[in-house]
Amino acid sequence: MIAPIRNFIDRIRGNGRHAITTPPMDGVLQPNTLIEDAPLLAPISRPDNLVRRGEEMLFSSGNQLMRINGTTPEPVEAFPHAVNALAASTGNALAIALMDGSVIVRGGKHDGFSLDQRQAASLTCITALCFSGEDRLHICQGSHRNPLSEWKRDLMERNAAGSVWTLDLSQKSLTKIASDLAFPYGILADDKDSLVVSESWQSRLISIDPSGNVRPVLEDLPGYPARLAPQSSGRGAWLSVFAPRSQLIEFVLREDKFRADMMRSIPSDLWMAPSLTAPHSFLEPLQGGGLKQLGVMKPWAPTRSFGLIISLDENFAPVASWHSRADGTRHGITSVADRGEELVAGSLGGDALVSLRHSGGLPA
Amino acid sequence: MAMRETLTRLRYRFVPDHILGEILAKSWIDNAIPVAILILTLCVLGSMIPGLVAVGSLLGMSAQFGELLLVVMAMTIVMLAGGIDLSVGSVFALANFVTLALFNMLGWPILVVIPVAILCGALVGLVNGILIGYLRLRAFLTTLVTLIIVRSIVDMFILEYAVKVARPTTLSRIWDFISFKRVLGMPVALIVCLAIAILAHLTLTRLRPGWHIMAVGGSRRSAFNAGLPVRRTIAMTYVLSGMLAALAGVFYASRLNAAGSDTGVGLEVLALTAAVVGGNSLGGGRGSVFKAVLGAIIILILSNSLLRLSLPTGGTSAVLGFVLIAAVAIDVKWVKHRDKLQTSVYVSPTFLALGKAPETAEGSASPYALNNLLKDVELIGLGEIDGPEDPILDAAGNLYCGTRHGDIIRFFAPDFTSKEVFVHTGGHPLGLAFDRDGNLLACVAGMGLYRIGPDKKITRLSDQTNRSWLSVIDDSRMRLADDLDIAPDGRIFFSEATIRFDMSDWMVDALEARGNGRIICYDPSTGSTRTIMDKLRFPNGITMARDGESFFFAETWGCCVSRYWFAGARTGQREVVIPDLPGYPDNINRASDGGYWLAMVGMRTPIFDMALQNPGFRKRMVERVAPDEWLFPNMNYGCVIKFDENGRITDCLWDSRGTNHPMITSMREHEGWLYLGGVSNNRIGRYRIPGGDPTWTAHASYRGEAR
Repeated sequence: MIAPIRNFIDRIRGNGRHAITTPPMDGVLQPNTLIEDAPLLAPISRPDNLVRRGEEMLFSSGNQLMRINGTTPEPVEAFPHAVNALAASTGNALAIALMDGSVIVRGGKHDGFSLDQRQAASLTCITALCFSGEDRLHICQGSHRNPLSEWKRDLMERNAAGSVWTLDLSQKSLTKIASDLAFPYGILADDKDSLVVSESWQSRLISIDPSGNVRPVLEDLPGYPARLAPQSSGRGAWLSVFAPRSQLIEFVLREDKFRADMMRSIPSDLWMAPSLTAPHSFLEPLQGGGLKQLGVMKPWAPTRSFGLIISLDENFAPVASWHSRADGTRHGITSVADRGEELVAGSLGGDALVSLRHSGGLPA
Repeated sequence: MAMRETLTRLRYRFVPDHILGEILAKSWIDNAIPVAILILTLCVLGSMIPGLVAVGSLLGMSAQFGELLLVVMAMTIVMLAGGIDLSVGSVFALANFVTLALFNMLGWPILVVIPVAILCGALVGLVNGILIGYLRLRAFLTTLVTLIIVRSIVDMFILEYAVKVARPTTLSRIWDFISFKRVLGMPVALIVCLAIAILAHLTLTRLRPGWHIMAVGGSRRSAFNAGLPVRRTIAMTYVLSGMLAALAGVFYASRLNAAGSDTGVGLEVLALTAAVVGGNSLGGGRGSVFKAVLGAIIILILSNSLLRLSLPTGGTSAVLGFVLIAAVAIDVKWVKHRDKLQTSVYVSPTFLALGKAPETAEGSASPYALNNLLKDVELIGLGEIDGPEDPILDAAGNLYCGTRHGDIIRFFAPDFTSKEVFVHTGGHPLGLAFDRDGNLLACVAGMGLYRIGPDKKITRLSDQTNRSWLSVIDDSRMRLADDLDIAPDGRIFFSEATIRFDMSDWMVDALEARGNGRIICYDPSTGSTRTIMDKLRFPNGITMARDGESFFFAETWGCCVSRYWFAGARTGQREVVIPDLPGYPDNINRASDGGYWLAMVGMRTPIFDMALQNPGFRKRMVERVAPDEWLFPNMNYGCVIKFDENGRITDCLWDSRGTNHPMITSMREHEGWLYLGGVSNNRIGRYRIPGGDPTWTAHASYRGEAR
């Protein structure tokens, strides 16, 4: 009885579930320009899914699997569909998930494994993969309503249609371990056999234990988290946050009619929605604070895109962050890979691989 | 769907949402609550007590009302200066006793008695004033102490002389006149009191001492910094308060001719309640005599009604106490939230469905197709000027522009590397034009229309126009004069972009999309200023057509260019020349090939076009979202287009990355170059027009030497 009344009052006053406040970028998350100032490793079109297999650094670009040696990128293999996700095991196996839902394993114990069509049919939007040992592969499905390329629509529809699956490579069985998640977009297996998943539309990290219980690990992120990667020290993790939350977008997310009209009549790159790329057309939305004054765009201007990498300790508490701000271009960072002192970050929206220096998860 | 759209359109056409915010911005809105309380009191008590609102009943209270009002005014004046005077009741009793003692017991002449009684009040006030104003004691405690001391002195005397003072020994016709006569149906007390009220009102609103009181109450520190005699002003308010309370005591004496120990007991609470219920702020600086009158009426009716309802002992005081605390609570909340409420309701978006935006894609066949021709403009004054608007060149080729600092800057020909402040106007000059005599005419935001001679002498031509009947905002003053041009007959036509927002908030007008602007004509032959068109959506650029009978004007939020005939056969007619632009048009100026240049301040975005059809969305956005985050048109890109007499687009120049000219608000052709200005930019661009006539100048064009 109380709940509907509370909901009604909240709606009028903009409280509770209807509040459009966004978490502040303060403390550890205080902005800097470390990503924007970092040296360019290589200009690559839409780099994604950076992983380390042994000493080798792999990533995807469209439907290409690529490798980077020092600073030179080279193609490894081309696939019939876009590569959605990659994962490497300690035994040098590489799992590749494609847009059509197929999962292929190259190298390692299960070299040549491929998910059969019937099973793959339920995985239409694989966003992230990770190995537990050599036999088990964990799979994040962002949403069963939209493919990965339509992530913006999935957010604007306010879906919680994602799920996490475990694929047993030796028995070829696929089990769902959690569902109704709001776009799981990154996954990491921790030592205690539970999984840490980034739930994008909830701006949080959750931990899922083997029996499927969900527990929040890190909440109220100021953006939409993407993939998680282990730190080379063996403790802690890297979290890439691909786009910022903003008051106006939070507001639009509460305006159902406006959002429906927008999705129906306007192309998705012109929506008032988060973006992977810095603005490049005058048809894109502009917010008042983003107006150029005296020829300069202010770095603190309200923005729909940014670049953010957060270093997490072993308890998944943030300890340091790397930024590219509103006036920068290295936005939409969806994945990073750590090779010792160097962190390679892939800016999906800025078409660049950049190299960041760090020592033990702190900026060097 | 279409049905719903029509309903929305009608709803926003006929419901004037914007009026609420405008009313809240008025200073008289502070009286709204007390008036509402008065009406409520009359309704509730009038229905409970038969005959309360009858004329006889009201007249019966009128003498009492005069006394109460004097005390309430005493309290109000002290409160306006930021203090409080609790001793009014005691002073009232003291004056009552003094009057009766001197007149009845000692037989002094009444014309001496009254001034002496008032002097007694003034003395008590002076004690208060010195202690509080000069020695800086707390007003509350100090006047509480005077309340007790004066009250005990009066009580001692009454104990001794109560019977003697009540027995009249002398007769005085003046005293009888004050006591019993009615003039125009009103007792003398009320007439004197109303006269004082009018005097007090004039003093507070029109005279220096009154302004000092308001200033000291509004902000003591600022008043001190401004050099006002703060201590003296405060002391004076207590003296005045004492005198008014004493006068009330004199009238009380004339009416009842009795001195009891209960005279004036609790009067301070009654007066305080009345002052606060009337809407005078306890914090000082906000209030008026009118509010005191309102409060006094409310409290008088209330207290008399409570007497007639014959509540149990203490009931009346309890009710008054509740009224006081409610009034204080309302006062505190109102003062705190009034501005917040006003800002949250002021912006009132309305429905606007723009036509489909034309194609702008690079390489498309559209006349607006994106290019990067403005990439290599020469820059003038980079980083030295803030907001160069409407660059213009004089006969010697010097370049002028307005800046946000309120200057008109002159860059010297031929290379424009040195500059001077030509004149300082005080507001952002937005539109410039030279007349035949070489005078520079300027539309200055927030100020109006000005003329600057070659000798730098500034003359105000016009800063107000006729007030429209139905506008709540006083629209006679010019708020955002924008661009101008001069007709062949010397009349000056200029646009006022909006009457609802100042220069600093001009973009917020885009969220409203209402026709808030107008075009005004100043006629130098008569010196008159008249509004010739209103309800325009941010009218901006104006330029004379070559027929000498009409001008083109741009409506920024309407995304269109229209033509208006002010002379000839089509006088008074208006016609849309370019209906749906891909962006928001700003200034218009003549081009050498017979066409007209038009600057685009920003570009339309599909999402903002959609928001324009959702006024509710924009309204909620303004209420919920921080201003920096509001959705606006995309003003980080702009372009310059050229159109001919028929509205056909003949040229289009873009800065596709927005590097040098993210927002182009003005441009001017001169001897084959195009000069570009931007109201939030820090440079003037200079673009060589391919095939531009190197001899053509705007002056020559206007004088008829060229086309």
